Amino acid sequence: MNKFGGSLGTWLGKVLPAVVFGALFLGFWEWAVKFFELKPYFLTAPSAIWEQFVKNFPLIRGAATVSGTNALVGLVAGTVLGVAMSFVLSRFKFLNQIITPLAVALNAVPIFVLVAVLNNMYSITSEVPRRIMVALVVYFIVLVNVARGLTQVSSTHVELMRSYAASDVAILRKVRIPNAIPFLFVSLKIAAPAAVITAFVSEYFGGSQNGLGSRISSNIANSKNAAGWAYVLGACLLGLLFYSFSVVMEGLNRKGRAR
Amino acid sequence: MSAVNIRNVSKAFNEGKPNQVDALRDVNLEVQQGEFVSLIGPSGCGKSTLLRLIANLLEPSSGEVSVNGKSAVQARLDQDYGMAFQQAGLFDWRTVRKNIELPLELKGWEKPDRRARADEMLQLVQLPEFGDHYPWQLSGGMQQRIAIARALAAHPPLLLMDEPFGALDEMTREYMQGELLRICAATGTTVVFVTHSIPEAVYLSNRVVVMSPRPGRITKVVDVALGADRTEDTRNRTPFFEAITAVREGLRGMHAAHVGMGNDDR
Repeated sequence: MNKFGGSLGTWLGKVLPAVVFGALFLGFWEWAVKFFELKPYFLTAPSAIWEQFVKNFPLIRGAATVSGTNALVGLVAGTVLGVAMSFVLSRFKFLNQIITPLAVALNAVPIFVLVAVLNNMYSITSEVPRRIMVALVVYFIVLVNVARGLTQVSSTHVELMRSYAASDVAILRKVRIPNAIPFLFVSLKIAAPAAVITAFVSEYFGGSQNGLGSRISSNIANSKNAAGWAYVLGACLLGLLFYSFSVVMEGLNRKGRAR
Repeated sequence: MSAVNIRNVSKAFNEGKPNQVDALRDVNLEVQQGEFVSLIGPSGCGKSTLLRLIANLLEPSSGEVSVNGKSAVQARLDQDYGMAFQQAGLFDWRTVRKNIELPLELKGWEKPDRRARADEMLQLVQLPEFGDHYPWQLSGGMQQRIAIARALAAHPPLLLMDEPFGALDEMTREYMQGELLRICAATGTTVVFVTHSIPEAVYLSNRVVVMSPRPGRITKVVDVALGADRTEDTRNRTPFFEAITAVREGLRGMHAAHVGMGNDDR
């Protein structure tokens, strides 16, 4: 019943295989680079990447702050807008029929290319286009999921509420919203990593060279491969941070529901 | 004043379209205060539809439904009835006590009053120690008892039940039937009960209403002369079997008329 309070032993049992595999993988990587004398532009050794990571840490942290802020601002804005719109959609069914296919279709195309268009609308040094891009990606993910949570309620619950002569507002508050909350957290688990990825990718379409995405490409372009990889490592860590946060949030929500 | 009065009620779905279904045609039924009436019949005989017309979850195409001397709409607005379904339909995100409090919340009761009533209802269904549990921590039979407690929380004079024990195993089912009779005797509640099971209908009811499909209508009403005090022993007595036979004959009569209807006992 209690998923989160497992003993240290079972926790180790879950984590240990992944750690061992990761260590073996890094060891093999290091060994392969040395043994086959791979050129740095082909593949850089983990030790060299780590060295660059430590050396450039203040710069990487600065770039991560820029990308991370873009991702966070976009994530929050997209979530707020997505939740707001899902309420409108669940209230007006005909809108749902128009918007949901559009949202699904937009999810299938790489809409980050829109950032090139957005860049033209704002000054070249503005972070706004990137944040709008992130917000847009997050918006559709949250919208589709939360709208589903608001509308897919058990028919028994709806009949029960009608038998109590409950108003639409009461049904929304007592049935639809509680039903949609797990859907919101699931959508955040998808949206959080997507927000970070979108923040990186949107940096490839011009604008300030201040984020992790643009630093990766500029370092690689200047044959500073190990430094480029060090920024990739920073990007991985930032992505993990966002993902862990969404998982912890979902865990807290489940615990709140004692389930 | 009768608890439920149904006069010349018909209900058609998709009215006027090629796929029109006559769910009920010319149904008349009167249920007295304190009476326990079961509706039985094969799938598609309109028994659930009839229950929903009484609950005002559906509107009749023609005819009139009154509950406690009021229109069905007014009775629903006044919460003159409680309802229980085949699925207990408890809210997973609410504790058992909070589930029972829900109809009272919607009526605008104060918190201490709600809590006192919820505890009273937990006593009534003999699950007083489960108030702070969540529904998924309870067995199916216990969940259904909580659903009954919730349906009766506002002390409605009428209880409408749509196959409430249909998803329970036979042992639990018989136990729940005894519990329901005890609760109804304690509260004086009138019950309209939809079921597929002949013994269940007979054991519980003062009258069993036999219905047949296409179009849904009442074909027979069986009076059950088992008295008020029904125990497990009642199931072994001759009047019980006589009533079962009478209901079965009512159902069989329509079976002959609808060859291939099949028996509908799940």
